[in-house]
Amino acid sequence: MTWETFIYFAIPSVILWAAGAYFAFRDKRKLALTLTITGILVFAAYIAGIWISLERPPLRTMGETRLWYSFFLPVAGLMTYLRWKYKWILSFSTILAFVFILINIFKPEIHNKTLMPALQSPWFAPHVIIYMFSYAVLGAATVIGLYFLIRKNDKSISESVMHLIDNLVYVGTAFLTIGMLIGAVWAKDAWGHYWSWDPKETWAAATWLGYLIYTHYRNHKPKNLRNALVVLILSFVLLQVCWYGINYLPSAQGVSVHTYSLD
Amino acid sequence: MAEFFKKRFFMWKHPWGYKEGFTISAGLVLTGILLQLTTGAVNTDFLQFPVNVFLGGLYIIFIVVLSFISNKNTSIRWLSGMTASITSISAFLLLVLIMGLTRQSGVHDNSGILGVLGFKNMLSSWSFVLVFIYMMSVLALVTLRRLKHFRWKKDIPFLLNHLGLFITLFAAVLGNADMHRYQMVVGSENPEWRATEDSGKIIEMDLAIELNDFTIDEYPPKLMLIDNHSGKTLPEKQPVTLLIEKAPTAGSLLDWDVSISNVLENAAPVVGRDSVHFVEFHSEGAAAAVYVTAANRKSGKQAAGWVSSGSFLFPYHALKLDEKVSIVMPDREPKRFASDVNVFTKDGKNIHSVIEVNKPLKVNGWKIYQISYDERMGKWSNISKFELVKDPWIGWVYAGIILMISGAIGLFVTGKTAYENKGEND
Repeated sequence: MTWETFIYFAIPSVILWAAGAYFAFRDKRKLALTLTITGILVFAAYIAGIWISLERPPLRTMGETRLWYSFFLPVAGLMTYLRWKYKWILSFSTILAFVFILINIFKPEIHNKTLMPALQSPWFAPHVIIYMFSYAVLGAATVIGLYFLIRKNDKSISESVMHLIDNLVYVGTAFLTIGMLIGAVWAKDAWGHYWSWDPKETWAAATWLGYLIYTHYRNHKPKNLRNALVVLILSFVLLQVCWYGINYLPSAQGVSVHTYSLD
Repeated sequence: MAEFFKKRFFMWKHPWGYKEGFTISAGLVLTGILLQLTTGAVNTDFLQFPVNVFLGGLYIIFIVVLSFISNKNTSIRWLSGMTASITSISAFLLLVLIMGLTRQSGVHDNSGILGVLGFKNMLSSWSFVLVFIYMMSVLALVTLRRLKHFRWKKDIPFLLNHLGLFITLFAAVLGNADMHRYQMVVGSENPEWRATEDSGKIIEMDLAIELNDFTIDEYPPKLMLIDNHSGKTLPEKQPVTLLIEKAPTAGSLLDWDVSISNVLENAAPVVGRDSVHFVEFHSEGAAAAVYVTAANRKSGKQAAGWVSSGSFLFPYHALKLDEKVSIVMPDREPKRFASDVNVFTKDGKNIHSVIEVNKPLKVNGWKIYQISYDERMGKWSNISKFELVKDPWIGWVYAGIILMISGAIGLFVTGKTAYENKGEND
């Protein structure tokens, strides 16, 4: 299994997910579930294959984290569909996953086998996988929020949509918290301190604080939807900076221990 | 109408809202700036045991007393409410954002407006410290308020999250000055007792490390292309690479079909009259070398020769493919490095162990981390660099972290419904 074979798994997955999303719209629940799950399994087979052939978890490069992101979006979509039965959620998750798959097909990053010693830890896989799941769920919440913020006024946003966004944010924030804390425990073993205010950590803290403001504000002013959605979207911007934006930030150049080097 | 104007333009009339909340936060930032300008940065070194325990105890008593008088005082009661929470988190977030956008210098750097305000060294700036203490106090008061009306089951995720966060932050702050980190460089001759502080000061430890053996396992050699004129990799910053796991092997790098017929893990160059070739060499300083044959798919150009990463003893050796491009072997990446050590303590222990990255050794309250080696020597390094860390408050931090993880799981399981507030807010 190499990166070249990705397209032969990704495209069938996307087709299966799109078909699943279509049947969800048509209220053919069983068909929608079967197709979506099959798509997820096909995609999972590729991840398993590349994991085995790389002889390390595929979690190091940006391309590899995008791989997990496009895997978790349909998973999160499916969970939401099962739990709250929104028939449009599978279309959302399919489109988002497709975007990340396209990036990986047209602009894959270097996928070599090497993994520096600092990343060789049992904490590595759970830390990144939990973060990617959280990013996927929060991404879905943001897209829904953005749609309603642009297209509708406060009054036409239904209670149930807001309830969905809140639930996604709660799940996403819970995973964000767990991912961050697992990272802290790992950092103690790898670097000697659980929190060093390294640029990646600073932006992870900022992201987390953003979602705390959202959840608290929703409890405090449940009627003021517009402000809440703005906070939601700004928090997702912070998340982007934390995920890959710091690679371009002048203040973070060459000082991050998250790009571990030996000097 | 009069009510409207009152609400719009007059502050500090209860109930307080966001305006008052943000004003308090802004006041703290401003006070911090004034303190920064008059007294300089905050120094928390004095917070060592037992001062930290004493002040921490006083702080807890102070917060508990505040919590009790909050029944009678509306302003203090406000501090345990939603508006105070949201505005204090927002103020803290703002400072974290400034920190994320400003290169943190570590040493006291007062240049520029951000330096004068202390924001180039955010963690010891007065504004950050004041807003942090304010946010932590609001967190404590919120937690105590909920504890006073605690409802089983319903309030458990709330308590785990808030109490867990408070314990983590509190222990992290109080434990900071009690944490010691020293570096120790150990050679192969004698056990080493001395370590150095960040400041360069040398300290005699109550434990010694003897290095029996230092080993590096490396990833297989790899090849990449560079531009002959600029020396930069192709494509720049994201070079294509070919990992050589076995010989013979073949692959491609951009337009070049590459085949490798011979791989020598440990080799030395032999300089001939008009060429260099490599032979097996099993002593200190040996470098990896491979014999490469390359052909360009477009131009049909061909080239063959040895490529080596070099070592501290031998220079690297590239193969020029054409006028523009050469093929090189970058320094090999370490897969694992580890030190086989004996650790002696002054109380008579003698522990034999292997220390490697991600696997520190725990001795007498110290954790010994493998951090580096002599990089110039690479795999032939005969020294090993360790970091020794003592962090007596770590147990409290872990306790807080475990509470928070349990709380997050609770949040995930119960979702929003179980977490809604019960009208306690302003």
